[in-house]
Amino acid sequence: MKILETKYMGLRLKNPIIVGSCGLTASVEGLKRIAQSGAAAVVLKSIFEEEIIKEHEDTLKKKLGYQDNNLEFLDYFDYQLKNDVLKKTATLVEEAKKEIDIPIIGSLNCASSGEWISYAKNLEKAGVDALELNVFKLPFDIDQKPEEQEKLYLSIIDKVKENISIPVCIKIAPYSSNLAAMIKKLDDSGVNAITMFNRFYNVDFDIMTDEVKAGGTYSSDQDYYNTLRWISIMSGKVNCDLSASTGIHSAETAIKMIMAGATTVQVVSKLYKDGLGSIAGMLKNIELWMDKRGYLSIDEFRGSVHHEPKENSEKFERVQFMKYFSGHNPDQVI
Amino acid sequence: MEDRNSYLKSERSQEWREELRKKIKAKDRTDVPRVKMNEVDASERVQSYIEVNSGLTQEQAQKEATRCVDCANPTCITGCPVEINIPKFIKRIEQGEFLEAAKVLKETSTLPAVCGRVCPQEKQCEANCFYTQKLKKEPVAIGYLERFAADYERESGQISIPEIKEKNGRKVACIGSGPAGLTFAGEMAKKGYDVTVFEALHEIGGVLKYGIPEFRLPNNIVDVEIESLKKMGVQFETNFIVGKTASIEDLKEEGFEAFFTGSGAGLPRFMNIPGENYIGILSSNEYLTRINLMHAADQTTDTPVVSGNKVMVVGGGNTAMDSVRTAKRLGAERAMIVYRRSMEEMPARLEEIEHAKEEGVEFMTLANPIEYFANEKGQVNQVKVQKMELGEPDASGRRRPIPVEGSEELIEVDTVVVSVGVSPNPIVPDSLPELKTTSWGTIQVNEETLQSSMPEMFAGGDIVRGGATVILAMGDGRKAAQKMDEYLKNK
Repeated sequence: MKILETKYMGLRLKNPIIVGSCGLTASVEGLKRIAQSGAAAVVLKSIFEEEIIKEHEDTLKKKLGYQDNNLEFLDYFDYQLKNDVLKKTATLVEEAKKEIDIPIIGSLNCASSGEWISYAKNLEKAGVDALELNVFKLPFDIDQKPEEQEKLYLSIIDKVKENISIPVCIKIAPYSSNLAAMIKKLDDSGVNAITMFNRFYNVDFDIMTDEVKAGGTYSSDQDYYNTLRWISIMSGKVNCDLSASTGIHSAETAIKMIMAGATTVQVVSKLYKDGLGSIAGMLKNIELWMDKRGYLSIDEFRGSVHHEPKENSEKFERVQFMKYFSGHNPDQVI
Repeated sequence: MEDRNSYLKSERSQEWREELRKKIKAKDRTDVPRVKMNEVDASERVQSYIEVNSGLTQEQAQKEATRCVDCANPTCITGCPVEINIPKFIKRIEQGEFLEAAKVLKETSTLPAVCGRVCPQEKQCEANCFYTQKLKKEPVAIGYLERFAADYERESGQISIPEIKEKNGRKVACIGSGPAGLTFAGEMAKKGYDVTVFEALHEIGGVLKYGIPEFRLPNNIVDVEIESLKKMGVQFETNFIVGKTASIEDLKEEGFEAFFTGSGAGLPRFMNIPGENYIGILSSNEYLTRINLMHAADQTTDTPVVSGNKVMVVGGGNTAMDSVRTAKRLGAERAMIVYRRSMEEMPARLEEIEHAKEEGVEFMTLANPIEYFANEKGQVNQVKVQKMELGEPDASGRRRPIPVEGSEELIEVDTVVVSVGVSPNPIVPDSLPELKTTSWGTIQVNEETLQSSMPEMFAGGDIVRGGATVILAMGDGRKAAQKMDEYLKNK
């Protein structure tokens, strides 16, 4: 019997596999099935402030009366919508807590620091064991200075940490003008964990209709490289836990992430593709591998292959292929 | 619609109207400047609850009435939710037949003195006036004239009690005594029904009494209307909560055959931000109800309201204006409106905003509270306010407020009144599981008949609309009465 137990943000988890924030984690039934499948923790489906704003917009479109006769009623209706969403989440947490014994991590996606505090407090009150902040906004504003975005992240963490006592994790994007420095700053801010990385909605085109459409929804089993690189680079340099996300489809990838220094791994796309049963398979294969390698516990191999500036930095820091293709004969391709 | 148009045409072609039109040239009519409403001076009115607008004199009213050109196509009527025959009542004023003018109003509006005071005419009839639409001039002061005619009738002591059909011995109940309920009750009484109005509070009038302060709508105006209803045989039961004091089933056993729910939207909404439960933070419903109805401004009462020196009111609607102006009258040195958009986007009537400004109310626009702080006794003493900027317009056509990061500031307060809207009163729907409601908690009705999922239950006003104007609630009360009458006759 291998010891898969791991400690994440101070929470004791029976193994390192967490089901990430997604549609599967939005109902009590879903959460029960996830707990039964062997996952160690679950991140609830994010509460998106953006969705609330959109719903307010839809409400205005559909319900604004002739001559604006109910404008006063609808002026602050977004707060009502917000309260409804938070109430629903609170009920979900309350009911799920009765049914499952694995930690429940709340997830928030807000657009401004003012709103974060009340959302975070409400989720803490509802009984979540920790909170994941899903902060990222695509920085497409050409007038915005890069440091402003960073400042926003830090101020959100500061305010949330000041106002709640449960552990806080931040889920970040793989994009930054200096990712390593930003991750270090986030760590210094006192965050309990960093989830690397957020997977975004992709844009694609239909070349026959000129329409913009959604790109592929799920990650593939090849999408983990960037996460692996950055977990490896940062794991020895931060005090907080790191949770690996994006492209984790097998026990082998999960093992790699832990070797790189991740405390936990988050799976989503794999479950949509192959069902919740794949969690048990991943856990079994991790155990088999540990057996082969002679490891008794997860802690024994966590961080075994991470980035060491004096030893292996060249392998992690290289981004240009340079010599990689130099041995290949272009004629074979052409 | 065709019938209505030909009716209006035939009314317009009556001899007296034609003669009146010929009396003054249209050009001379349009040269008359719009009348200014007489007002009590701001420094005087903030000392008391005296009504701010003191109405027009007969001369002013008649002169203003001459401005109306009695259009062949009276677009103003299309702007009125209850389609008052506006040119006709105005021409009656011009003629000096003020009681006749009041009669015209009462053909379609049960509470003209109320509507003349609180209706947003600038968005309704006056927005559709020929002057606004074609001449790009200030519209005829339809609202002021409506008030004038209604007040004249009341003050003359010659209030006409509508004709009542012979009693048919059938009992119907009205839940709530706001504008929808009062209108419904009056209409049903006219049709010969035995009507009882059940009111949860100790005074009749609903939002007209508990929500709108005396300085905007004096209680005696509403009381006169209630007296008329009493004379028509309508019975009132106060301190009676349908769904608690007695159920609908209990009332059915007492012989009530059908019900109209006009219980309004009296459930306050909050923002759910940290510290909102501290002492000294009230909803506008509580603040206004306690002062308007419970005399809580008097510190010798059992439950006096905290009368802060620094009062912040959150919101930009008429209720927010009523609250902040009430605070001023309670002696606040600093009475502030905090609103997250700019003055331009405020839903409150322009007149109310202007009056508030004159009375010394401070407007902090593009600002939004995000947290409250309190002293060791739990009494609110500071508000953290975040600055906002305006983004792209939303579906209401107004620019959306966006928080400005790092712009927070602390403001000293001793009372905060949260006026960010209301939700439908849940008591009646909660007591009737078979009654279908929307996701907002409003009662679902057939829009044509205002009949709910329970055939014997009709509903209107804010309990159906969520929150709208007095005149729309009245329109619902009228329509529900007509449809309930048809329903009961066919039963």
